[in-house]
Amino acid sequence: MKAIPWTILPFPCGASFADRRGLRKDLLVALRVSGSPVIVDFSSCGTLNHEDIDLLLECAAQAAGRETKVLFVAGTRVNRVLLEVTRISSLVPVFNSVREALAYPQIAAESHVQDLRAS
Amino acid sequence: MELGAVVVVPAREDLLSLQEAQPHALAASEKSRPFYSSRMPILGNDVLRSWMERVRKLGLRSLWLTHTPCDERVDGSALAEFARQGVERLLVIELKSYAEMDLADLLRFHCESRNPVTEAEDAGGQLGVCLRDYLALHATGEKSAFPSAPTDIGQASYQFRGYAKRILSGKERQELVRDGLTGACAMRPLGTEIRDQVWVGEGAHLASSVRVIGPTYIGARTIVHAGATIGPFASVEHDCVVDCGTTVERSTVLPDTYLAPGLLIRHQLVDGGYLEDLSWGAVADLQPAGLGSRIQRREARRQAFRETDVQSRRGGACARGFAPSSTASQPWLRVQL
Repeated sequence: MKAIPWTILPFPCGASFADRRGLRKDLLVALRVSGSPVIVDFSSCGTLNHEDIDLLLECAAQAAGRETKVLFVAGTRVNRVLLEVTRISSLVPVFNSVREALAYPQIAAESHVQDLRAS
Repeated sequence: MELGAVVVVPAREDLLSLQEAQPHALAASEKSRPFYSSRMPILGNDVLRSWMERVRKLGLRSLWLTHTPCDERVDGSALAEFARQGVERLLVIELKSYAEMDLADLLRFHCESRNPVTEAEDAGGQLGVCLRDYLALHATGEKSAFPSAPTDIGQASYQFRGYAKRILSGKERQELVRDGLTGACAMRPLGTEIRDQVWVGEGAHLASSVRVIGPTYIGARTIVHAGATIGPFASVEHDCVVDCGTTVERSTVLPDTYLAPGLLIRHQLVDGGYLEDLSWGAVADLQPAGLGSRIQRREARRQAFRETDVQSRRGGACARGFAPSSTASQPWLRVQL
């Protein structure tokens, strides 16, 4: 199976204001211009604050209606719970680990191949 | 034989001082499970009162109320003091469970088994209800004073086959809410049934666009803003605020909780700024993200589930003087039934 190029970006939480701004810019640019899927990884985030939630919603808005596929990696159960409570998980697929997220399009691609074979 | 009764309210040691001011205090982190006070209302009901009513049916006129750290049992020397004051048999209820137990049947079993101690159990283990005779009370006191003293006293298990749930567990609390809403247990929601299986407490305000799906309970003075959905199998206790568009489904929201707009609370238990996911057991702090918080209220209105309130509602006299080995962390309170 052909490997799909991925962009994995750590979510800029807990960083200084300047770092956060830089990472935020990288993240939004990647979502806008990257043709490859983007995985946003929260594994290093202990918990999410209101700025994080705002940025997540901005990410989801950037990805909406574009070719770019965006996936979130919660990293912890607490982050996963917060993503579900805020309904972000209904907008963007959420996974527990990067490994799980990487498996997601492959499963989709495989089932697509099987569908083609069946037809 | 003179019978006495004690109800022990479990509390986290580091929260004991907080309990006076904030009886529903909860401490939670990712590492430890949250502690829910057993005085927290369930569908508007105080489980302590249900036990008080059962004790009253035994013919007792009063009981003693105290609290201990949640992992510990009541101090043995304090129980021995009851024996010294002439109590020959003591019913000790640790407020950890809601059980529809006929205490007269427990007493009958205890008398017939002729053991100094009888512990009530169900399939899940001990329910925190036991009867201790003079001999056992005395032995407990000796064990407390001299830890090496032998405590080889007979103990019987009373197998309870009726309805019981452990109220310190978020999951079992939610099961009790479900059963109360559907009539699967004797506990009924405290409010007016405005339509089939939808109960609303006094002074609750629901915006006209709120969708309420039964079975559901909305507690007294709770405010539900426009576009919110409550239910099915939801219990939003008294003095909460559910903001616009938030959904509460198969969940419990404990008193004085604010929920921000647009949230999805599903199979979870929320207490102020903390949320426990009942499927995964994860506890999230909602406050940094501004998703939920504790509503601070004026002292006079804030809480209707305090020990002092137990007396005033019953209109009974209260003697605070009796204090078997009373310590600052373990005060005793006499409650008229």
